[in-house]
Amino acid sequence: MLLDGLFAGGTYALMAAGMALILGVVKVINLSHGAFFTLGAYVAYALAERGVETPLAAAPLAAVIAFAFGVFLGKSFINPARKHPFALPVGTLACALLFEQAAQGIWGPHPLSIESGDPWIGPGGLVIRRWGVIAFLSSAALLGGLRWILSARPGLPLRLIAEDEEIAGSLGMDVEAIRYLTFGGACAMAAAAGALLAPSAAVTPMIGRAPLLLSLVVVIVAGMDSVAAIFLLSIGLGIFGNACAWFLSPQWSYVSLLVAVCLLLSARPAGIVVLACRRDG
Amino acid sequence: MSRRGNLPPGPLAARFRGGWPAAGIGLLLLFPLSSPDVFFLDVFTTGFLLAAFAASWDVVGGVSGQITLGHALPFGAAAYACALLTTLAGWPLPLAVAAAILLAAAVGTGIGALSARLAGPFVALLTLALGEIAHEAAVGNTFFSGPEGYAWGGEGGIPMTLPWRDALPFLSYYAALVFLCLSSFGMLRFSHSGAGLILRAVAGSPITAQASGVPIARFKRLAFAVGSAFAGAAGAGFVIHMGRATATDLSLELSFQAATFAAVGGRGTIVGPVVAALVLHVLFQGMSLSPSTRVLLYSMTLLVTLRFFPGGVVGTARDLASRLGGKEGTRAPGGRVRNRDGSRTP
Repeated sequence: MLLDGLFAGGTYALMAAGMALILGVVKVINLSHGAFFTLGAYVAYALAERGVETPLAAAPLAAVIAFAFGVFLGKSFINPARKHPFALPVGTLACALLFEQAAQGIWGPHPLSIESGDPWIGPGGLVIRRWGVIAFLSSAALLGGLRWILSARPGLPLRLIAEDEEIAGSLGMDVEAIRYLTFGGACAMAAAAGALLAPSAAVTPMIGRAPLLLSLVVVIVAGMDSVAAIFLLSIGLGIFGNACAWFLSPQWSYVSLLVAVCLLLSARPAGIVVLACRRDG
Repeated sequence: MSRRGNLPPGPLAARFRGGWPAAGIGLLLLFPLSSPDVFFLDVFTTGFLLAAFAASWDVVGGVSGQITLGHALPFGAAAYACALLTTLAGWPLPLAVAAAILLAAAVGTGIGALSARLAGPFVALLTLALGEIAHEAAVGNTFFSGPEGYAWGGEGGIPMTLPWRDALPFLSYYAALVFLCLSSFGMLRFSHSGAGLILRAVAGSPITAQASGVPIARFKRLAFAVGSAFAGAAGAGFVIHMGRATATDLSLELSFQAATFAAVGGRGTIVGPVVAALVLHVLFQGMSLSPSTRVLLYSMTLLVTLRFFPGGVVGTARDLASRLGGKEGTRAPGGRVRNRDGSRTP
């Protein structure tokens, strides 16, 4: 159970990092992030149904599809509506519901499950699930890559836009394009997380809601600066969520995440804004 | 209908104002007399209640600019309270309805108190989370065994005990229509009252309002309380019409529908959301689409509206009218309607 939580948390970190990226660069709370997670999970399911059963194949495909949708969404909706306080939360929620219903229309509302291969029996009778190892390792690799990109030269535009868009623009950077590309990339990360985690749970149209909340909690608490903090916190929450599901019932982990969002928002009313201001100042 | 609109209407708008709602009400009053199918009477009855709910969203989300995505919470709380009080506690219906509305107002005050210090999208986030908690609680709990011994709650919901057996369809229709007219009149009056104007100021720019000495937190609580009370009234009407309070009454989809109606009709106008709710609901429900298809269509409608008509139908019409009347100023430069938080969209 602990290991499952660890693996799941590591993969959630991928999604939360995407959320943080959107928040930092596009400065938007993306309520449709969970929809891309769902998309990834369904891509993995559809592939597994056709005999391709490794998440390593599903994740890149899901990422590419999500990147395409994400770029479209970012370019045609998020960018124009970015500063509109009503359009954004409601609009991204609309995207999420749109996708949930579309998934329900295509794959039906019933939970679907994926054959995840035989688990390995480790020392002391410890059961290690294969999907978990693959998911954990690949998301850790991806996060490491992200961290490297952000700290190295190619990530400079991203960091600059997060810090000050006007300066970035005046340096000749195409801020709008970088924004929707980042949005697409972050959506791809969510979808990859979904594809990697699909074997661990029953795939339903609502599967993305809990990871969405988890990423929100992570981003509010850990901020957007440190990939490592996001990673550790996601693992913690992943273990916690699994413990809730184990001892109480699966829906309790969802409710506890909801409660966490409420508590965090009331305890830190400025929420993420504080961090954003610290960056600006 | 609104003689004291806060925006000076253009000549065209002034000429058409007041006449159209009256004509609409007249047509709706005539409709049952044309002996239509019972199904359509039912669709309209539900539509009236949803329209009142959409208008109550507009009090919070439009007039006061507090984007709530958990507006189903007071609606569903009132519905559940009605069902529990009449069936389990055996209260008489009017008393249960009054208690349910009070409960909804209290819930709204609570939400308002929690979210008063938050800004912009965080209000949406918090209300969404609160609504989902309530929904999960309603789905997960099979409350206790009822008088007949079987478990209640959960997916099945809680039945309502009514003093009558079968309501005549056209009576429910008229009752819901009267409720819609009265409640939207009340909400219009509120949104044009002194408190409503202050709320609009808070929505426009909280900082300016605070600098002018407005106790912002109190007025936000007030907005949530009033909007939630009307939502609760709609919820009570809904459960009376449906005969059963279910977890759907608390769902995110319902909150989202209210926001959609308001966005399509034009936020902050009360009448716009009512009209949009009636038209969209009757259109989609009248075609007997499945609930998931309806949510799909609602989200598409919303996205198109947000992208191309940010002011909604009423906002766009107002723009057109004032442009035809040679008036400028309802639109910020760049073609986008003024933002609620006072910042301008580039």
